[in-house]
Amino acid sequence: MTATLLNVENLSVRFPVKRRWGQSTWLYAVDDVSFEVKRGETLSIVGESGSGKTTAALGVARLVPNSAGHVVLGGEDFLKLEGEDLRRARAKIQMIFQDPYSSLNPRLRAEAIVREPMDSIGTAPVEDRPARVAELFEQVGLRPEQMKLFPHQFSGGQRQRIGIARALSTNPELIICDEAVSALDVAVQAQILNLLRRLQRDLGLTYLFISHDLGVVQHMSDHIAVMYMGKIVEYADRLSLFNDPKHPYTKALLSAVPSVDRARKVERMLIPGDPPDPLNPPKGCRFASRCPLVEDACRAAQPPLDPVGNDHRVACIKAS
Amino acid sequence: MTDPLLKIENLRIELKLRSGPIPVIDDLSLELNAGETLSFVGESGCGKSMTALAIMGLLPEKVGSIGGGRILFQGNDMARMNPAELRAIRGNEISMIFQEPMTSLNPVYTVGEQIAEVLRRHKGMGQADAWKRATELMDAVRIPNAKARVGDYPHQMSGGQRQRVMIAIALACAPKILIADEPTTALDVTVQAQIFDLLRDLGRDTGTATILITHDMGAVAEMADRMVVMYAGRKAEEGPVEPVISHPRHPYTKGLISCVPHLLAELTEERPDLTEVPGIVPSLGSFGADACLFASRCYMADAQCRNARPPEVAFGPQTSACWKADIV
Amino acid sequence: MSQIENIPVKARSPFSEAFEMFRRNHAAVVGLVVLAIIVAVAIVGPMVYPGNPFDMVWAPFTPPGQEGYLLGTDYLGRDILSLLIHGAKVSLTVGISAALVTVTIGITVGALAGFYLGWVEEVLMRVTEFFQVLPTLLFSMVIVALFGASLPMITLAIGLVSWPAVARITRAEFMRIRELEYVIAARAGGVKNAKLIFSVILPNALPPIIVQAALMVGSAILFEAGLSFLGLTDPNVASWGQIIGSNREYILDASYAVTVPGVAIFVTVLAISLVGDGLNDALNPKLRQR
Repeated sequence: MTATLLNVENLSVRFPVKRRWGQSTWLYAVDDVSFEVKRGETLSIVGESGSGKTTAALGVARLVPNSAGHVVLGGEDFLKLEGEDLRRARAKIQMIFQDPYSSLNPRLRAEAIVREPMDSIGTAPVEDRPARVAELFEQVGLRPEQMKLFPHQFSGGQRQRIGIARALSTNPELIICDEAVSALDVAVQAQILNLLRRLQRDLGLTYLFISHDLGVVQHMSDHIAVMYMGKIVEYADRLSLFNDPKHPYTKALLSAVPSVDRARKVERMLIPGDPPDPLNPPKGCRFASRCPLVEDACRAAQPPLDPVGNDHRVACIKAS
Repeated sequence: MTDPLLKIENLRIELKLRSGPIPVIDDLSLELNAGETLSFVGESGCGKSMTALAIMGLLPEKVGSIGGGRILFQGNDMARMNPAELRAIRGNEISMIFQEPMTSLNPVYTVGEQIAEVLRRHKGMGQADAWKRATELMDAVRIPNAKARVGDYPHQMSGGQRQRVMIAIALACAPKILIADEPTTALDVTVQAQIFDLLRDLGRDTGTATILITHDMGAVAEMADRMVVMYAGRKAEEGPVEPVISHPRHPYTKGLISCVPHLLAELTEERPDLTEVPGIVPSLGSFGADACLFASRCYMADAQCRNARPPEVAFGPQTSACWKADIV
Repeated sequence: MSQIENIPVKARSPFSEAFEMFRRNHAAVVGLVVLAIIVAVAIVGPMVYPGNPFDMVWAPFTPPGQEGYLLGTDYLGRDILSLLIHGAKVSLTVGISAALVTVTIGITVGALAGFYLGWVEEVLMRVTEFFQVLPTLLFSMVIVALFGASLPMITLAIGLVSWPAVARITRAEFMRIRELEYVIAARAGGVKNAKLIFSVILPNALPPIIVQAALMVGSAILFEAGLSFLGLTDPNVASWGQIIGSNREYILDASYAVTVPGVAIFVTVLAISLVGDGLNDALNPKLRQR
């Protein structure tokens, strides 16, 4: 059994929202979420817009205020760290971002971008840093003569490679990929996905992979958590989730994806309407308003995330 | 056999650069029959949207112009029409929906007013009739409680609902052709499924032919009857969806299909690396070259590919512009 | 096929691209040339054309071209050309220093408000609004009246009434840029706040601020001229506004004494505006093709 690297317990992230007449209220983008990531594996968080998947990732990385709960990495609670301790601990969790155009500082040369985390956290002796940058460039498939160029001189895929090199520079224990390939053209997307998997094999990396693309998630993940309106509704290993989904939302999500595999012409499970107002979430199951299986008990209380099998948990009272 | 609804012959669209005109669409021919769904597929920068804008007569002025060929809509050449004639067709006989439902509606008018405006302009309807028809259209695109929501402003609607309003506007005049340019790229997958169902049902009911522009092979497989694969402004492959996807005759089509991790009917432990199509779409500078523009990224390319533009080879209903089409 | 994989190997910095864009705006290039000439006159002029410009050199109201005085003399018989050349230095100095005061206060306030948000922003923006609603001319007249009409005080007065615009632009840019992924990436990389503000966000926020600052030089020159015209100026220093102000009573008898410095102000401010416009083209990424 592989050891657990990251343990997230009861993570909540809320945002203040101004309403009319100067009143303000809290929007719970992530509401009491727990999961763990095993060393050397990939956990994907999948969901649609407004599900809180990106906020959950930013919460884990301590990049949003107003987070509560525990994010335990190597025996240390990341959410309890402050000041210098936090800054130094940031070396352990790095991020790869979605937009290859806004994720690199346009005023810095590629080598300076890759070097920045090493300089500010001080993870390598100063004299070793240039060699480390060169090594990182090679690892992500960029040529050494490109180190002096500015971001706008690279293509989208190459920029994403720079972003990956920057994330690797501090030898992090966990890398969060936030929609890391969704802004790329399909051919370039394949190049980056293969690169991420090769790096994982070679360097033993652990990924927290955030995506809305179920095909990509299916290809990249070892475990998957499905989120809906700030809650995890299903958590399972790769084969269980894609071959035997239990939650009606997961089923609807999977059946909505168009595929070239004709054998996969499963009957489409259409879910009507849009998610409810996140400022005023329903008391019971949050999917109740769109669920085809809904009954009174669903609206009464929130279903807990209960195990339904080995490594498979579902938050639905109708799952069994 | 009846004439096709839309026939594009040897279309060439030029971009004026300082170094001279560059063909961003180069010798493109295709046909669209009444009631069918045709899909344009390719990476960004391959000319999918440019072709759609040319059909709409909406090429950005000063930037792109038609350098040759014909766009025959019901036998009339749109490339030679004057602006007034084009306006009569645009939005009436041919209409278009775009990728961004957030910015393609005018935020200062209610959605009902925006639908009714099209009806008044093209159909000469009166205020009351147009408003009533707008409500019916909102109902037709499955916006719940259409009667009440027809007075809503765009910001009061979700992304999916806005795209439905765009579809209602596009279909208001019962056009013969609907061009949908990545209509669901900005939407969630469950909403995309709703929109696709809607487009399919509406197409069947009204007999509108659809051109679906997308980069998603899954969407093509699900929605289209025929497909055109475009690469660097040229047609790489064309044919009915089923044979093209199951047996592509162009290495680019093959690459596009196999580089994406698709959902499978039965997932297994096995997880091979994705097939890579190395490199990126060539820069505009090389667009006019007498060569296969895909050669630099192709695993089969040889001297012939780099020195002569491949002709189209037919395989039944399927055509491929590749020197090695028979062994792909 | 090397032309297809055309990956550049020469680094083109954002600066050299901006210069290229600036060069394409012909009006801005003309403006820059004119401005360069004016600056050269301001620096070199007093050496080539020495002497105290306040000295009476000939009979008052000598029209331009007569007696060897190219631009004539004013009501005190002073050489207008000499006044103009010495005044160029004064007017430009006032303009540039006032713009510097403006930018310094504006950037500091705007950056802090835009970066920290919360109560810091609330307080700083209320202060900004306070200065924004002050009647600018009246406020600067009060300052000058209270603290005396010396050149530094006038410069400070102009700066004090002009900074809110810069603060607002800076704050808006900071609020936009702080949410961009490269800033989040820098935070994830453990970059300290001070470095985040000054070396990550500020350089990227500068373009519109630079444009605003350039235009500010022009409006400060105008403002100083306005104050001088009202007599609120150091009478011992020859600025262009002061020449106009002191000759205003004789506008009907010797219109050239007012017109010449007026044209100088007009040309200078126009040149600065054109340069500002060119900077806008050069630094605005939306106008730059990828």
